[in-house]
Amino acid sequence: MKVKLWGTRGSIPSPGPETIRYGGNTSCVGVTLSDGSMLALDAGTGIRSLGLALAAEPARLHILLTHLHLDHIQGLVFFAPAFRPQTEIVIWGPASPEASLRDRIARYISAPLSPVEVRELPCDVSFRHCPEAEWEIGPARIRAASVAHRGPTLGYRIDDGDSSLAYIPDHEPALGADLDALEEDWISGLGLARDASLLIHDGQYADNEYPDHIGWGHSSLSHAISFARRANAERTVLFHHDPMHSDERLDQLADEARERWAVAGGREGGIELAAERAEYELPARTASAAPAS
Amino acid sequence: MTQQKPLELILARNLMSALSTPAFLVDEGGVLVFYNEAAGMLLGKRFEELGKVGADEWGSLFGPFDENGEPIPYDDLPLVVAVRNGRPAHADFEISSIDGARHRIEASAFPILTAHGSQGAIAVFWPAASSNGAGH
Repeated sequence: MKVKLWGTRGSIPSPGPETIRYGGNTSCVGVTLSDGSMLALDAGTGIRSLGLALAAEPARLHILLTHLHLDHIQGLVFFAPAFRPQTEIVIWGPASPEASLRDRIARYISAPLSPVEVRELPCDVSFRHCPEAEWEIGPARIRAASVAHRGPTLGYRIDDGDSSLAYIPDHEPALGADLDALEEDWISGLGLARDASLLIHDGQYADNEYPDHIGWGHSSLSHAISFARRANAERTVLFHHDPMHSDERLDQLADEARERWAVAGGREGGIELAAERAEYELPARTASAAPAS
Repeated sequence: MTQQKPLELILARNLMSALSTPAFLVDEGGVLVFYNEAAGMLLGKRFEELGKVGADEWGSLFGPFDENGEPIPYDDLPLVVAVRNGRPAHADFEISSIDGARHRIEASAFPILTAHGSQGAIAVFWPAASSNGAGH
């Protein structure tokens, strides 16, 4: 399984000279499974670049949405394969008692917010609510579970052979909870992340920023580190950077994360901050998730 | 692999932990999976000391008793009605704390319904305002 980060920013695209290295595009992760089939995790503005990079047009693509906040779907109408009639796109996402996934996404892909409607997309697009039970896409087993965020929100776990990816980009597991003291089964998202080869997890706020954002649905650096330690993931990538955080500020947070990870007994190289275009090749659980570039 | 509790139960526990209102939480099978500190004070034992209690045990652990001091059938307890029938339920009755002291309380229970069906139920307790006996 190969993983590439196409958008690492949270909340709103943040292009500019101060965000060049970590990137300004919002959430999107490309996953190439062992049989070559392709998944996109979320469809923030990063999915535009993912679409342009798909040289050989895949016949079928799966897009797994964690939730429908704009920073996770904004790139959908700029995803080139969606405008090719030979492409089949399956969009998975959380169910809601309020309306179907298609109808909720159509609120964005419709006038006046969008120049095209869902029914006008040339591709063969379908929408599916994620089942409660594990399901398969190609060689991978996919699991989705609700996680603590605002509104119906999922985290995903993808197992392909012996390697596993956990993707929980918007997550506040410490809301009203002590992550260091709680039993494992009472921690939101931990069942998805447990022993993953690679955990991509929310790390939006510095610790001193979190008190002003309690209940906003995101993690502080301390909470993300605690969660990663409890999950025992082989490698953790902190994701969904705050739009106010420049490259320089993120460098500081990366240093802080590494220091605190080491103090907490974490393995060297076990934690880092997500950078746009970073790639990971996930081997079996017994070895490290070595960066491909 | 860790079997995560349903998120709705996790959030319910987190909320209950922050409340000063005594509250119980049962899962979809009726197992008592948490009660908060306020409930622990009422019962005379913290949840951390007791741990989770099976569906067929917790009803008898604390009573409850009707106005005549008779045990109330398990099936009639508000939490059981809420989790089994997916309906809110209310009753007043006496419970017995660990030290044997009796407390007359009112209990309101409501189910935790999700997109995947019922995941459990919550009951909150107050000192009884009247003594009308058990009922729904």
